[in-house]
Amino acid sequence: ALRMTQPAAVLSVFAMLLHTTFGESGCTSADGDGTLGDDEPDNFDIDCFSQLEIKDSFSSLTCNFTELPPYNTNYTLSLCTEEDNNYACSNMKKQEDAFFSQFNDILSNRDVCMYSEMKRRVCRRVVVTDIVKPEVPFDINITYEREANEYLIRYCTPHSRKKYLKDKLVHQVAYRQKEGTWKTIESPYLQIKLLGKNLENEALYEVKVRSQPNGNYFKGTWSEWSASKSFRTAREQHATETYSSVVMVIPSILGFMLSVVMIALIVVFWENRIKPAVWPNLPDHKKTLEQLCKKPKNNFDTSFNPESFGYVHIHKVDGLWAKAELENFLQPSAAPETSLPEKFRSGSDLKTIPAAADNNNLPLPVSCAGVWPAEALHRLLGPSQCADTEGSCSSSTYEVCHGTRVPLHSDGSNLPPTRPLDPSGLLHPEPLNDDSVSQMLPNGDMRSPNNEEAYVTMSNFYKIQ
Amino acid sequence: NPAFFRSTLPVLPLLLVLSPVNSSSCAMENKTTEIRVKYENILSHDINELVNMSAENRDRCCRNKNKENIKVFFCNDTEEIESLQSMACNMLRFFNKQRISKAFRRKAAFVSCGTLQVLQCKCERPKKEK
Repeated sequence: ALRMTQPAAVLSVFAMLLHTTFGESGCTSADGDGTLGDDEPDNFDIDCFSQLEIKDSFSSLTCNFTELPPYNTNYTLSLCTEEDNNYACSNMKKQEDAFFSQFNDILSNRDVCMYSEMKRRVCRRVVVTDIVKPEVPFDINITYEREANEYLIRYCTPHSRKKYLKDKLVHQVAYRQKEGTWKTIESPYLQIKLLGKNLENEALYEVKVRSQPNGNYFKGTWSEWSASKSFRTAREQHATETYSSVVMVIPSILGFMLSVVMIALIVVFWENRIKPAVWPNLPDHKKTLEQLCKKPKNNFDTSFNPESFGYVHIHKVDGLWAKAELENFLQPSAAPETSLPEKFRSGSDLKTIPAAADNNNLPLPVSCAGVWPAEALHRLLGPSQCADTEGSCSSSTYEVCHGTRVPLHSDGSNLPPTRPLDPSGLLHPEPLNDDSVSQMLPNGDMRSPNNEEAYVTMSNFYKIQ
Repeated sequence: NPAFFRSTLPVLPLLLVLSPVNSSSCAMENKTTEIRVKYENILSHDINELVNMSAENRDRCCRNKNKENIKVFFCNDTEEIESLQSMACNMLRFFNKQRISKAFRRKAAFVSCGTLQVLQCKCERPKKEK
């Protein structure tokens, strides 16, 4: 039994020691208290602020006394952290009236302890993330937007390149007219706009910026003010200027659209309308002549009524000319109805003259304004004709117009009444009286007053066209 | 009977030794909101930096393909806090043994200690393997 009790006692003591020293870590671990029990929780007035990532990954803590300790009192400030029931402290460096310390860990709860000759140690708990003071903004840039009449103010902050306070700050922009009252605007962004209508024209303004944690997790105080920047506002923008700009813009747009439309129309109608009007094609002689030589239509209006040609001047035929005509007439020739082009005939009005080998039945050649000599006509018409109309024979003038033998006397008494022209100027064919035809042709041959020889008048051209 | 006390006296220290230490139950067991806030605003940035630094030393880390080293960084379901504690402590022990750059070791230690700080945990002594 004694042998059992001795190892048990040693084992129990050893277990006690192990239990108290149990746990292995090189890290700090905080329990609920943080301060040593034997410290007197005496208050001392200090004001501290932290700056995160002030240099690389190090953060800093700066403290100063709001109420200076009594003169001739040596005191030091230390930044302490509890680690496994041990209080690890590091002295803060004194910089003028402030105490400064750097560290990496911002999660651990820290204590600022004052060591003085009077008291051993006095500590105060500080939460590093609740007393954050951001760094000062910089690089203020002011741009005037004339169209909107606004002033765009942009600035930068060092925390944009760091990890903890990026996009977790609120910025305050202060502006004033020279020697005037400061006005402030807050924004979470790195730019704001000042309306020109809220500012005086042609005045000198001053702008400065500062930052603060937005309070979502990090809390703290405002940073120091940035360096101020001055700018001068523009002169008053008159309504006429805006109006003139609008007046310039609208016609420019309309002109551009009109030019686009014109170009499109030109492209579309160039071949069909514009080019033929501007650059007409030269007439082709061959085609033009072909058109002129076209045959008239079937219902082409012609007239063999001598009264229709009352306006035509009838000239006396010379002897030679008449002789040449007579020779041509006496010689056998092709039927005029076949030589004449068809378009000079009228289907119903013109009566075809039968072709005959007999000289008496030879059709008269087409002749205009010709007067047959008496001998030739007498040979053709016979003596009876002359016996009846002796007076007419003696005058021996026959006017043959367009193949129609109409005896004309010198006194003109037997002249048939002139047939008035149609309003269109065309001569319509009119059948001759049968009596006049029988007198003219005693041999009984009926000759149609509507000869197949067609008159070619200017009206034909109109028809052809 | 004096023999009774003498026989039962070692039991109490033995119970103290055998009783579970409060290292597996971290103080922030039921404070998930506070854990999440600290992770989002502080710890996540340092973890991202550590990941970027690990990418630079990727070849060196992957050479050691010991399965035992992989096991220590697993996360068990429904035991997130305990797993995080285990990972943080293992990371401290692991990187102390590896031949890596000082900056990387410092960052790894910072992440490990930050994790333990957020969870308010401590590391256990490594148990000797049989």
